[in-house]
Amino acid sequence: MTARLQRLALPCLGFAALLLIWEVAGRSLGPALLAPPSIVAIQFVELLRQGEMLRELSASLRQMAIGFIAACLVGMPLGVAMGRSQVADAIFRPWVSMFVVTSTAALIPLFILFLGTGLMLRVTIVFLASVWYITLTTYNGARGISPQQVAVARSFSASRLQIFWKVILPALYPYLLTGARIGLVHAIRAMVLAEMFVIIGYGGLVHRSGLSLDTAPLLSLLITLMIVSLALNWLLGAAGRRLAPWYEQQRVGA
Amino acid sequence: MVSKTNVDKRLLSLASVVVVIAAWQWGAGHVSGFLLPAPIEVLWRFLDPKSLSRLFGALGQSLVQLGLGFALTLVVAVPLGVLIGRSRVLAQMFEPVINAIYAIPPVAFVPFLIIWFGLFLQARVALVFLMSVFDVLVIMIAGARDVRGTLVDVGRSFGASHGQRLRLIVLPALLPFFFAALRVGSARAINGMITAELFFAAVNLGAIMKRATQNFDSATVLAVVLLICVLGLLAQSAINLLERHLLHWHVRPA
Repeated sequence: MTARLQRLALPCLGFAALLLIWEVAGRSLGPALLAPPSIVAIQFVELLRQGEMLRELSASLRQMAIGFIAACLVGMPLGVAMGRSQVADAIFRPWVSMFVVTSTAALIPLFILFLGTGLMLRVTIVFLASVWYITLTTYNGARGISPQQVAVARSFSASRLQIFWKVILPALYPYLLTGARIGLVHAIRAMVLAEMFVIIGYGGLVHRSGLSLDTAPLLSLLITLMIVSLALNWLLGAAGRRLAPWYEQQRVGA
Repeated sequence: MVSKTNVDKRLLSLASVVVVIAAWQWGAGHVSGFLLPAPIEVLWRFLDPKSLSRLFGALGQSLVQLGLGFALTLVVAVPLGVLIGRSRVLAQMFEPVINAIYAIPPVAFVPFLIIWFGLFLQARVALVFLMSVFDVLVIMIAGARDVRGTLVDVGRSFGASHGQRLRLIVLPALLPFFFAALRVGSARAINGMITAELFFAAVNLGAIMKRATQNFDSATVLAVVLLICVLGLLAQSAINLLERHLLHWHVRPA
């Protein structure tokens, strides 16, 4: 009972400490440098009421979803192929390891030249920022599938297709999910990055509110981003637990 | 047998790279409306002494903020991570707070950093720090928690003092995590380096990119992307080399 109480109370204490330090710092620095949470909270409700913040957010998230889903559709099969076939691994490995260290920000000027500053640019940047992480996580999972499991299936004369659907795919499940979650973090980052670069959508809103003399709107926008990011991550985790409750959420490295 | 398949795989990887670059060169010459500049042209940016000295001069300047920012990250995040990870109460208090802040895309803090640090070196160092500090912190917390109680108990039963246990057991057990943090953190820091140069006052590599974008000089833009990519790969291999040298007793799971 006390352990449970501790698990609930300590995080609250942590957040309370953060808010307290922030409030004290905000009050002594003034709202032009750091608006205290008491003022940000009022501003946050005001922005929610005005509606522009949520409108821009939902438009941006929809565009991000296109890039992210495309990244899943490409990255997951690619990761499985690389993990299960030595040939595919050899062919794609150099490219994946090169692209995964390429910084997304550096790609934006290049793709502005190719694609302009419209929807395609943002979707492409989100795609490129997330696809390699999804690929690599799936790859690690596909490589780690125990050969015994596959051998057992084979000795029960399962066909290759059956082995794939009944053994490999269920074993991959937690990795696909972790890949999607890691990919999503990078997709959201890329969304904000690209939008701030070309000053459009939610990122554009962040950029514009940075120009005002009051930091309360800016902080409200950051908090909204935080909530969205945490909520989407939680949603993916919950969806995974529902779809495959027999798999405990595994911790696999990024 | 094993070495033969390894050689085959290397050859296949090499072939994959050569084929794609050859196709790219051919496409740039023969397909109208082909967007990418020919690889020869990009390579020329590194062969021409004038543009080479410009690129590497800028890189040298960029490395200054990278070094300062990442050093700051290590000085702050490594001790803090160990401290939080070794204490159950601190971990329960602050991990949710850290995860919440970590969920905010760091680039969204750019307007803030401009307000606090201006547009020049300080702001760039701050962004490099901000983009790498949480990744290092999260890995070090996980690592410090992971140090097995049994190891520490063995030390205690052999009469090791608190200081000895820390120095001889906990710190060596943390080293693999420290290297993991270096790998992830350095990639993020390089990302921060170029992001900062594009989002604050454009300087160094960022300035070269922005100017080239305005002149539709995609070969130069691609050359800078390549340079950053090579920097990332070199950093990863240097860290891996150092790890193998220092941690010959530890086998990293593939």
